[in-house]
Amino acid sequence: MVRQSIILSATVIFVLFCNVSDLGKIGAIAADKEYSQNHIYTVLPFDAIPAIKNPQFVSASEAKLHDDSPMIGVSFNGESHAYSIYLLNGHEIVNDVVGNVKIATTW
Amino acid sequence: MYSRELDGKAYTFGVSGKLLHDALLMYDHQTRTLWSHITGEAVTGQLRGKQLTMLTSMPQIAWKEWRLNYPNTKVLSVQFDPRHPERRIEDRRFDSYANYRAGPDTGISSTQYTDNRLPNKAIVIGVQVNFRYCAYPLAAFEKKSVINDAIDGVPVLAFHDNVSGATAVFMRTLEGTILAFEPRSGHFAKDTTTGTRWNMITGEATEGKLKGKSLEQLPAMNIYWFAWGRYHPETTVYKCTAQMVKSSESLNGFMNSPEMI
Repeated sequence: MVRQSIILSATVIFVLFCNVSDLGKIGAIAADKEYSQNHIYTVLPFDAIPAIKNPQFVSASEAKLHDDSPMIGVSFNGESHAYSIYLLNGHEIVNDVVGNVKIATTW
Repeated sequence: MYSRELDGKAYTFGVSGKLLHDALLMYDHQTRTLWSHITGEAVTGQLRGKQLTMLTSMPQIAWKEWRLNYPNTKVLSVQFDPRHPERRIEDRRFDSYANYRAGPDTGISSTQYTDNRLPNKAIVIGVQVNFRYCAYPLAAFEKKSVINDAIDGVPVLAFHDNVSGATAVFMRTLEGTILAFEPRSGHFAKDTTTGTRWNMITGEATEGKLKGKSLEQLPAMNIYWFAWGRYHPETTVYKCTAQMVKSSESLNGFMNSPEMI
């Protein structure tokens, strides 16, 4: 389990923050907004980090959280959802519906 | 935070394992188009050039303050052990990014970042109005929780509370009147135009002449400066004065605190 955690965290960090090597190219992309597949770097296979497609929720009183737990919050049309940022480290995307608004929460 | 609806269709998204400008690309399960989660733009695939609508959210906030303001909130609950499907968790105490956050690294390669207006790992609130991009370093809120500003001539209010970690950007024009704000304790502010007291987490007026009114919130994100500056090189930086640049050492120290993203 510990080993899995280490591997997971290493891959998460790798995926999010791995650098591409040619700064000149990147500058050109940024300036031109011209994207091509040449500038996209594959680090892991699709879904190696599992996005959440059918999120499950509990109430505020049922949730096992600490006062200082960092959360992402969203509220639409009187309905609110909160996601632990530390949990999202392992998922990065939640496909959700809040107050009838279909949203993708990304981290 | 993006809408999953585009041209009347709903999409679902997964993690592609691919990167553009150091940041993850999402893909949609329906067309396998790749999307930037920084800009919401489809960068390659069938829907290339399409743009997801960015939505308002609270990019980070301590659970205590979120619950206080949204007591009916639901909380994401995740199964973490397939052998025990009944065991679910809402949090981890372990932050797999802790070392990354605390250190100077901008990735695992030796790529150098050249936009030195802020330290690479400074966290900024990134926001755009009329495709004019602006970055507010969280360090700019060390002594005051609200900043009255204008982007492309549009009066806005940027908020960050060091205690709860909450951030928000609002329009500060309400029914044709431009309001000016000053900080009050915690996540409250007062507009000096009407004397109304406002909750900066919900954007609602809680006491005074405008009680019951709400400020319009703008979509915004908390993001490392090096990423924001690369995706939006034309961005302005709030009060990027010589003084700000000189204080980069103290900024770095501030950002090393573990509670910062």
